[in-house]
Amino acid sequence: MRPEFLRNFRTSARWALPLIAAAVAITTLAQTGAVTDKDVRPILEKKCFQCHGDNLRMGNLDLRSRESMLQGGSAGPALVPGRAAESLLYQRVTGQSTPRMPMAPQPILTDSEVAILKRWIDEGAKWDSASPAVSAAPGDKAGASYAEYKERVITDEMRHWWAFQKPVRNTPPAVMPERWSKNPIDMFVKASMDANSLTPAPQADRATLIRRAYLDLIGLLPSPAEVDTFVSDPSPRAYEDLVERLLASSHYGERWGRFWLDVVRFAESSGYEHDRTLNTAWRYRDYVIKSLNDDKPYNRFVIEQLAGDELDPPTEESLVATAYYRVGPRVRFREKDNPYYRYDYLDDIIRTTFGGFMGLSVQCARCHDHKFDPITRMDYYRSVAMFFGHVNYDHLLVPKKDADEWAAATKEILRQIAPLKKEIAQIEAPYKRKQFEETVKKLPEDVQLAIKTPVEQRTAGQKLLAAQFESGLDVDPDANADDDLAKIVLAATDDNFYHYSPPSEAQGSQRRGLKLSDADEQKRKELQNRITELQKKMPKAPPGVEGVRDGDYRLAPDGPGDVPLPGKSRAEYGVKCCYLPEPGQEYHVPDVHFGANGLNLEEDVKGPVVQPGFLQVLVNGTPPPLADPPKRTDYVSSGRRRALAEWIASPENPLTARVMVNRLWYWHFGTGIVATPGTFGKMGAPPSHPELLDWLATEFIRQGWSIKQIQRLIMNSETYKMSSRFYNADDVGKDPTDVYLWRYPVRRLEGEAIRDIVLSASGKINFQAGGPSFFPAIPLSVRVGYANGRWDLTKEEPATWRRSVYSYWKRGMKVPMFDVHDQPDQNFTAERRNISTVPTQALMLLNDEFTLLQSRLLAERVMQEAGSDLPTQVKLLYKIALSRQPTERELRDDLEFVNREQAAQAGNSEGTYLRAMSRLAHVMINSNEFVYIN
Amino acid sequence: MMTPLCDDSMAKKQRYISRRDFWFKAGMGIGGLALIDLLNRDGLLAAEAPQACVASDSVKDSPYLPKPTNFKPRAKSVIHLFMSGGVSQVDTFDYKPDLLKYHGVALGSGIAGVQGDGKVIVRQGYPGPLMRSPFQFKQYGQSGTWISEIFPHMSTIVDDLAFIHSATGKSNDHVLSHYEWNTGMILMGFPSVGAWVTYGLGTENQNLPAYVVLYDHRGGPFSGPTNWGSGFLPAAYQGTVFRSVGDPILDLKPPSDYMSVEQERRELDLLARKNANHAEMHPGVSDLSARISSYELAYRMQGCAPEAVDLDQESEETKKLYGLDDKITAPFGRQCLLARRLIERGVRFVQLYNGAIVNQNVDTWDAHSSISENHRMHAAEVDKPITGLITDLKRRGLFDETALLWQSEFGRMPISQRALGRDHNPGCQTMWMAGAGIKGGQHIGSSDEVGYKAADQVIWNHDVHASLLYLLGMDHKRLTFYFNGRNMRLTDVAGELIPQIVGHGKVAA
Repeated sequence: MRPEFLRNFRTSARWALPLIAAAVAITTLAQTGAVTDKDVRPILEKKCFQCHGDNLRMGNLDLRSRESMLQGGSAGPALVPGRAAESLLYQRVTGQSTPRMPMAPQPILTDSEVAILKRWIDEGAKWDSASPAVSAAPGDKAGASYAEYKERVITDEMRHWWAFQKPVRNTPPAVMPERWSKNPIDMFVKASMDANSLTPAPQADRATLIRRAYLDLIGLLPSPAEVDTFVSDPSPRAYEDLVERLLASSHYGERWGRFWLDVVRFAESSGYEHDRTLNTAWRYRDYVIKSLNDDKPYNRFVIEQLAGDELDPPTEESLVATAYYRVGPRVRFREKDNPYYRYDYLDDIIRTTFGGFMGLSVQCARCHDHKFDPITRMDYYRSVAMFFGHVNYDHLLVPKKDADEWAAATKEILRQIAPLKKEIAQIEAPYKRKQFEETVKKLPEDVQLAIKTPVEQRTAGQKLLAAQFESGLDVDPDANADDDLAKIVLAATDDNFYHYSPPSEAQGSQRRGLKLSDADEQKRKELQNRITELQKKMPKAPPGVEGVRDGDYRLAPDGPGDVPLPGKSRAEYGVKCCYLPEPGQEYHVPDVHFGANGLNLEEDVKGPVVQPGFLQVLVNGTPPPLADPPKRTDYVSSGRRRALAEWIASPENPLTARVMVNRLWYWHFGTGIVATPGTFGKMGAPPSHPELLDWLATEFIRQGWSIKQIQRLIMNSETYKMSSRFYNADDVGKDPTDVYLWRYPVRRLEGEAIRDIVLSASGKINFQAGGPSFFPAIPLSVRVGYANGRWDLTKEEPATWRRSVYSYWKRGMKVPMFDVHDQPDQNFTAERRNISTVPTQALMLLNDEFTLLQSRLLAERVMQEAGSDLPTQVKLLYKIALSRQPTERELRDDLEFVNREQAAQAGNSEGTYLRAMSRLAHVMINSNEFVYIN
Repeated sequence: MMTPLCDDSMAKKQRYISRRDFWFKAGMGIGGLALIDLLNRDGLLAAEAPQACVASDSVKDSPYLPKPTNFKPRAKSVIHLFMSGGVSQVDTFDYKPDLLKYHGVALGSGIAGVQGDGKVIVRQGYPGPLMRSPFQFKQYGQSGTWISEIFPHMSTIVDDLAFIHSATGKSNDHVLSHYEWNTGMILMGFPSVGAWVTYGLGTENQNLPAYVVLYDHRGGPFSGPTNWGSGFLPAAYQGTVFRSVGDPILDLKPPSDYMSVEQERRELDLLARKNANHAEMHPGVSDLSARISSYELAYRMQGCAPEAVDLDQESEETKKLYGLDDKITAPFGRQCLLARRLIERGVRFVQLYNGAIVNQNVDTWDAHSSISENHRMHAAEVDKPITGLITDLKRRGLFDETALLWQSEFGRMPISQRALGRDHNPGCQTMWMAGAGIKGGQHIGSSDEVGYKAADQVIWNHDVHASLLYLLGMDHKRLTFYFNGRNMRLTDVAGELIPQIVGHGKVAA
């Protein structure tokens, strides 16, 4: 049985606060001999010290000595010697006082342990041993500073956790009946059922199976013709063939790619204030879809995303894959000037990488050793060092020669523009001076005085006042922006690259309100025209992708139009090479100091330099060697990310294969074998079928990390093909949440998939695949709530009826239809999607223009394809939407509904009939059966 | 004057075909122009009396069902008044006579008590010298609280407000600071306070959303919907925006030219039969019954949400109290009056914004160019409505069971920016809390002599959030949600109750 706190993973409608029953322990300890600390200490060590001991003193409580217990923590003294019932320690471990200790997932005390503790306290809490010294600074400070930090030794016992052991391939157990003994998955599942005396459901009928398989594998409805063919197909291989067809469909990647995008927290805008568009992120989305369609080996898929630029040689796909690093939330202030953001971005990368690929919450160890898993703070910084070389880099997806030519041509034009801009600045200079003088006249007198006062006579306050107005007076940032040709090279590496257009001088002058004399205006205009002409000759930027490569973030050049301001944490590092190291240059990944967080550079360098490395709990003292730096001739790289990627994607890694097969299982059944697909540590759920998980993991590797091969096994299993309608009162009592899969678990589709099947039903789906995203229609009243919510297209029309996976994903403003249906927040890797059920979802599907219009289109389709006979039309509607025939009662109900709706309206035109039929279609789209995989 | 962005007619103009043709004429050429039954549309729901909208006993399956508290709550609901853009403490509620003395002096150049080292980090451009407030201050109430002249109405209720002068933030960025105060973290993507509260407590009225957001009539605040998002909590707990024009909730009703609510009722009856059939075939799947009841709730919401926002039910006197008779105060007055009506109907958390980033330096409190102009305007917009709200809550007996929190994302600098404005300052802001039995007229914590940084009793967002949860009967350390391997909290790993707010405990030295 799953622990209590995990139950809510299945029952989605309720989230009860943890209610902890007060349990009174029964004393079973033999009433002999006095109990001393020698009896109690082992219990405390095992169950309490992790949080109230050497490394941590949560709640300011230290349980390592009698004195410290008497002193207690934030909640008061833990111990009242002689009176267990009044001692907080006793109350907490028994649940009489909450929260009950130890907290999940640590096991609570056994009855006998409670009894020992009670007797010890009641007998006066004798403590004979010398107390360990209690640190003078208890609480969260422990281990916070590098000086006090001593890395925890990872013991064999810690490595004993099931997920840190390599998966073992056990022979599938023999089971009966024969139907269940053909596919190893079934053998493991049936064995678990047998062990729990559960009876499996019979196989679902073919109509159910085809709808299930379509929705599951490609996220679309089967056409009525496909349903008919399949249902009447006499071939024993009909179902297997169906699975093969669907796995081979190009729509497969569109459905399964969406799941992967959840894992890598993919969105197409940066989030935060600017929420800028990542112009090429769609290439990464297409890469994911293509990789899945191609059944790219998963280990290769992992390596490309983490180190596609470090492959030897990289491919276009592997360069696109490095957008993995860029599609997360980013404030987008320069990292060299705001290094704390860099550390936050690295944290995002560590969270996504270890959570996504390995199911570990390494990010928890950023500030302290992990509280539950054997992951140390040093491990965290080792991982930071693994990633520390990367800098944002826009890979051009053309041969180097073409890229060089483009850069040279661009430079040349900018070189010609620069002097023209300078001339304009010179023309404007006297006007700007005059404008300044006018401005000064309107300022408060003290400011005027400050400006009039000669510089050397100004007070400190006057200097500040004057500087605010005088700064920038004789400098034209726009004119200076492109002076330095080196900055143009930067264009190829800067965020603004793809949509960078030089600021218009005319606009600049207007912005400043400069009124020039006619003659000067004429001159300025001529110059401006020449600039405009030159700009027209600017060559079109070659296709590229916002990815990464190795470099030194501290040396990033400023961007175009960039003026450093006072107060920025710009620092001198005394390094010369290289923002982007060239062949022949000596490149070192910048040092990572233990404990650094970018907030205070002086503090940051006090910690020792950390060497890159792997998690100690997994390498067991013998880390794999770092990968060789790639041998490419065009640039230099450290190879660290590739080493990490190869380690993660190695068959020796106990987690990677398990985590992925578990995700596949979760996406197929709605719950993973491990119910927490991103958490395989102690805070995660234990596997419901551990042997099956291991078998699948080893099979995954054995099959060359083929995702489709695992899915083929799952799809063809009896487990998958079971009916969902089976009900056995006994079994419901024994396993109400269907953990052991005695029937097929129905589940609601995600918002994106609901939208897709609505379009699939109406037949209006636009199958334009790949390329830049489309903007679904969003009502103005929603867009007005978010001024950064620029949205290109806002009406319902075929251009917006593409599959949801191609919908633009803006971090700051989600599409309402997806939002209310629990689309995950894309700021963190989503280990699973919530499934909540609320009235706003119903309102959306009932009243939104999208569903209403599609209902009408579905009605039109039915009327066109079924001829004029109403019952035939209703039957076709069922076939389209639910892949089945209506029952007699359903048919009767629906005919009655349509007739009444038609009669209720004035007139008897075709339009009236269409309205009535549209309403029936609308009801259908809203029905549970339609939005569920049954 | 409504901004064109909010004008519904503009949305209509943008359509590519007329509404009438939209549904049943365009497309495949089937059907003629149908008569539109506009007349039927609003008939049905007149039957739904306001009483029916408050009762929700029959609801059995909803994530919003009321949940037990950890201990006896002081307040049932929250009204969160968020002044977006950065309110200057030294020009409103944190009187600094020393600024008169030091006007024109560089900050940190030997002024007693100022902790600054002379290096002032400003958000924009170059730092100026210290600047006095352009406003006059006077003392008001039994508490003798100093209030700036721009709050003539609020000065009459100072003895109801508990001021916190030492609220401190971590960022001088609008958006990060909005996240910080609205979600507990400066990073994007964490659940909002209102989401946590509704997750923890549910709501008392299933016929209305549990958490309602009413933003400025000009548009949304900095960073928009992220402020009321549910982060990793289920989407059920996100704030629902009540729109200022038309139906309050997005997609509340079908477009009137498509079908009437009455016709939709008949659809819902058929839908219920279909869903019952389906559920019968899948016994023991609770999600299915939850989805069935969500449709009934949605139907009730169609009647109850418009009732809740129907200000015609209010007396002229009440409308005046909130300033609805004046075009300056009417928009925020409407937000405040709606807030009262919503909490009266059992809505758990109502968040109001003043300030929209349509034209940032004008439409929000972001007074970079002129404190005088900007703060005069925004204070005038909110002063009377907020005073009216508190007066109204008191006379209706709702004040003590409602927790009010008034704040901004950060304070502003005591130094000038280009002579007349002030830049962002996360070092301290003055916020106030009221209602929920909080002792009024208090001054909690303090800033330094010039209002640059918090001096005594530094208070962080986690402390305010912990205290707010406490007032609602929740222990902030026990309100947790499992996410990615951790039991997450609104207050992360911090948060101390503010003794003066919760009424017990000692102020840490």
